[in-house]
Amino acid sequence: MHSKVYKIGYKNHSMRLYNPEVEKAIAKVKEVKAKTICIQLPDGMKPYAQEITQRIEEETGVRVLIWLGSNFGACDIPLGLNRMGIDLLISWGHNKFNKKIGW
Amino acid sequence: MDVLFLDAPYAGSVELCKETLAYLKKKKYKTVALYASVQFVNNLDAVREQLAENSINVITSHADRTQVKGQLLGCDNYHNSLNMPRDESKTVDCYLYVGDGKFHPLALVYAQKDLHEMKEIVCNDPLAKKMSLMEVADVKKILMKYRASLMKFLTAKTIGVIVTIKPGQEQFRPALALEKRYANKKFHYFIDNVVSFDQLENFNFIEVWVNTTCPRVGFDDQEKFAKGVINLNDALMTEDILGRDSVLTRL
Repeated sequence: MHSKVYKIGYKNHSMRLYNPEVEKAIAKVKEVKAKTICIQLPDGMKPYAQEITQRIEEETGVRVLIWLGSNFGACDIPLGLNRMGIDLLISWGHNKFNKKIGW
Repeated sequence: MDVLFLDAPYAGSVELCKETLAYLKKKKYKTVALYASVQFVNNLDAVREQLAENSINVITSHADRTQVKGQLLGCDNYHNSLNMPRDESKTVDCYLYVGDGKFHPLALVYAQKDLHEMKEIVCNDPLAKKMSLMEVADVKKILMKYRASLMKFLTAKTIGVIVTIKPGQEQFRPALALEKRYANKKFHYFIDNVVSFDQLENFNFIEVWVNTTCPRVGFDDQEKFAKGVINLNDALMTEDILGRDSVLTRL
């Protein structure tokens, strides 16, 4: 599966190239046999939600819901997604986070 | 529910620009503390080679909340959250941040606020191929208001403690340490999903706020708190912080 690189950023920063690794997202959707997923994007990638959603939906048939709100970091996982039957959250722009109790 | 994190790594080459190298040489820096945001941290080989070619030593550390050595998060922004041994940090001439934007390197400014001297923060943006310096002057107004909030906290009797409920952020039990530390103050705990800044003024009996959510809220959002806000860790050591001869107290 080829890895498409999206131009991420504003018009005057068209050289900003980040790899959204959508193929990894698709592999995870298939691995966990998800039916409904939520994608959470940092502000700089939110304009690309359409392309990312389209590609995941086309390749897996899953329903993709887009998190409208914040994506401050890996600490910022939305609450209540389980209640909506969402089986997988894919969060871009961060890696796993070690919570420090009592900072 | 499963959760998958994707780094969105930078797809271009990650190198120091000429301007950065020339500046490090001009300043005769011998040892730099190298950090990068997650989009760049796994792709620093060329940067390390460039520094070695210029006889500049590189040290780094595994910050508190990160997964990868050398990674910088905006929230590892206080006291020893970078986890760099003291004898190593003494040898550092400057911090070198690789990445774009100001959010991450600003953590290095805040992390040094209680030190006697601030070490310079050199930022190399691989996208713009430009260098910039991050200085205390960039956040002087914020830090002065923060210091005023610390002073206000010392004498305030009615305090609002803000706790957000997302598992990665929630710090309710650690916040209870405030009651033991300051038996003469009344602490009210406010819980929220994200901090609703527009609701603060409704609770007009609060004299000053303590933030337990993200350690950047106390700084980056200081202006949104008309009554002032300080971070939990600083609230537990306010007298010590204000009693030091430091970057913060000399502003």
